[in-house]
Amino acid sequence: MTATTSAPVRQQPPRAPRPVPLTAARLLRIELRRSAMPWILPLIAAAFWFDSYRPSTSQPPIWVLRTFWNMGQGHTIIDFGPFVAGLAAWMGSRDGRRGIADLVTATARPRWAAQLATWAATALWAVGAYLVFIAVMFGVYAHQGVQGTPPWWWVAVGAAAVTAFSAAGFAVGALFPSRFAAPLAAFGGFLAMAMSSQTGFSHTSGWALILPTNSNGNFQPPSGIFYPYLPDLPIARVMFLAGIAVAALGLIGLPAGAGGPRLRRAAAVVTLAGVAAAGTAVGLAGTARLGPHGMVIPALHDAASDRAIRYTPVCGQSAGVPVCLNPAYRQFLPDVNAALRPVLGEVAGLPGGPARATQVAGAYSSSEGEAGAPMTITGRPPVLRMPLGSLNLPGAFGGSTAQFAQQLRLLAVHAFAGAGRGPGTPAQQAVQAALLRGAGVPFAAQPGVLSSVGLPSWAPATMQEQATEQGKDHAPAPAAGPVYAAARRLAALPPAARHAWLASHLGALRSGQLTLAQLP
Amino acid sequence: MTAAGIHRPPPGAAQDRPASWRALAALRLAWLYLVSRRAPAAVALLAPLGALQWAALHWNWSVAGGGAARQLVPLVIETGAAAVIAVTTYGPFGDTERATGRWLPWLRLVSALLLTAAAAGALAVGAAGGHLPGGNLAMLRNLAGMTGTGLLAAAALGGAFGWTGPMAYWLVTEGALAGAWTTPWIWPARPPHDLGGALCAYGVFAAGIVAVTLLGARPGPGARR
Repeated sequence: MTATTSAPVRQQPPRAPRPVPLTAARLLRIELRRSAMPWILPLIAAAFWFDSYRPSTSQPPIWVLRTFWNMGQGHTIIDFGPFVAGLAAWMGSRDGRRGIADLVTATARPRWAAQLATWAATALWAVGAYLVFIAVMFGVYAHQGVQGTPPWWWVAVGAAAVTAFSAAGFAVGALFPSRFAAPLAAFGGFLAMAMSSQTGFSHTSGWALILPTNSNGNFQPPSGIFYPYLPDLPIARVMFLAGIAVAALGLIGLPAGAGGPRLRRAAAVVTLAGVAAAGTAVGLAGTARLGPHGMVIPALHDAASDRAIRYTPVCGQSAGVPVCLNPAYRQFLPDVNAALRPVLGEVAGLPGGPARATQVAGAYSSSEGEAGAPMTITGRPPVLRMPLGSLNLPGAFGGSTAQFAQQLRLLAVHAFAGAGRGPGTPAQQAVQAALLRGAGVPFAAQPGVLSSVGLPSWAPATMQEQATEQGKDHAPAPAAGPVYAAARRLAALPPAARHAWLASHLGALRSGQLTLAQLP
Repeated sequence: MTAAGIHRPPPGAAQDRPASWRALAALRLAWLYLVSRRAPAAVALLAPLGALQWAALHWNWSVAGGGAARQLVPLVIETGAAAVIAVTTYGPFGDTERATGRWLPWLRLVSALLLTAAAAGALAVGAAGGHLPGGNLAMLRNLAGMTGTGLLAAAALGGAFGWTGPMAYWLVTEGALAGAWTTPWIWPARPPHDLGGALCAYGVFAAGIVAVTLLGARPGPGARR
């Protein structure tokens, strides 16, 4: 026995680089070639065109309106997700359907790793296609001169949703291999999206905001034009969907044949991590509150997101009054000028008559559409401030130029009469009706304008008041009753006499001291 | 000596067997065919779809909105049933079966009709859970039409991908209902007693049945993956 202290220390030969990444890359390449996903892409492309792109083209060329249906209400996800889930289930059930699950379990690579390669190829095809389709659609929008900024965060949500559908579908196929795995996964996807819409439309706060088809309080006209899209809710949704994907992928590593004990323990940890991420995201969505520019999640909110987007307004003239809009609304400037011209002409020279009209950002509402915000006349010289986002812009949701003009005139005369955020006094309502009549909206058409969609809450309240006065249970009521009788008397005056009466009584009218009987 | 020219068994060979034996053989052939298409599993899946229909109607899982929106969840369930039927057309035997199966077209026909009837029965039972928009008449029409799209997809794309037909049709229907389309080709948008919608739906069903009966499900390229 000898001491070995003097023996030279053996140098460990440098370890050869592990071939795992190369092998994994080769496996992924093979799976990419063998994936069935490309076969279904033409069908998805057709569905995408029909359901996501085609309806959007009827909206005005403003990003937040063009993409409301396909991104805000998640129709790109509805078009992609269930088909991707079905195909992923088909790929996940491949070994089981062919009866070679035991055979591939005995190969050098752990079964879970091989399955992850198959899933990765499926997901790469699906997410790649999703991003390409979105890029093409956005490219077409950009070519059409759509204004504002695109909702990039919603694209990230869509990509995460497609990934989640692919992972969930793959897990269904891997765990229940049969010919029915694909249709059941796709059916589950459609049912999930239908239920998401069902829950999303009826929930304006709480956990349901996590659902990717829920547009309540988070996709409204000020975004991308006056303020950036708030990323709070999309971040929570990405976390939720990524959590689902990770949990589903972890699940397929749990069965005995998936790998050794260490690998299965790792799969259990991955599953729990996914569930934790999804659960955390649901919890975060539950803390969301409606801010002036969208849903705010305090834990995720960045104050920088609240900064207004700088812009140089585009201006025109209407009855000698400058009218300025956000450049995103440039194409509506002639319509706004034409709509305001009779109103501004009527009130020209009167106290409080606007010296300028300018577009301002509207406020978010907790429902699907932006809150109908009233116009105001403030400042010295007086400025008419117009939130246009929630109005029926020509082309938006079936709105026409005539409807748009009538709504603008109504809001402008309401602001001029000093009725503020409520329906106003009967005298204010009568003056409003007479001015509106002078601006080219006949009395008979005014109840219809008051009951049109997109107006502030004072409009339906006015209708209800007038209906009650006429002894009717519900609005709309015809243009009758004491308010319209007084309005008809005022409108019947010669323009000069009406102008003179308004000049002398506007102060009392706006302070609410004038009664119907005091009208001429 | 060759066997050329002999196309039929010797006279009297088959006729000697009793009629009951032939009936039993025919039943066994039909059963084997149904098993090879996983028809029993399909029926086992159609039953829970009926239960789902019942639950959806009983607990009012309808999408907020007008009548069109209220149809969406029942339509999804009918789509699922049609997809399950379409997938049963997938056959694992390919050309071997095509070359030797003299009764194959009849077996395909019987299988598709039996499964459609089973689906209709399951969904009709499920409809007892509450108010089904359009009632059972509309449900039958919608199911038949969607099954037709599934069978046509199976004939065109392969049995394994037959489910894409009803799913794609549901997507089109959802967009069309939102857009208030009234073409009879979107039969769920038409009233239950509408002749045009019924003609289109049952016409598509008949086309699907004919395609699958005569041609069978195409062995699609994706099915081999």
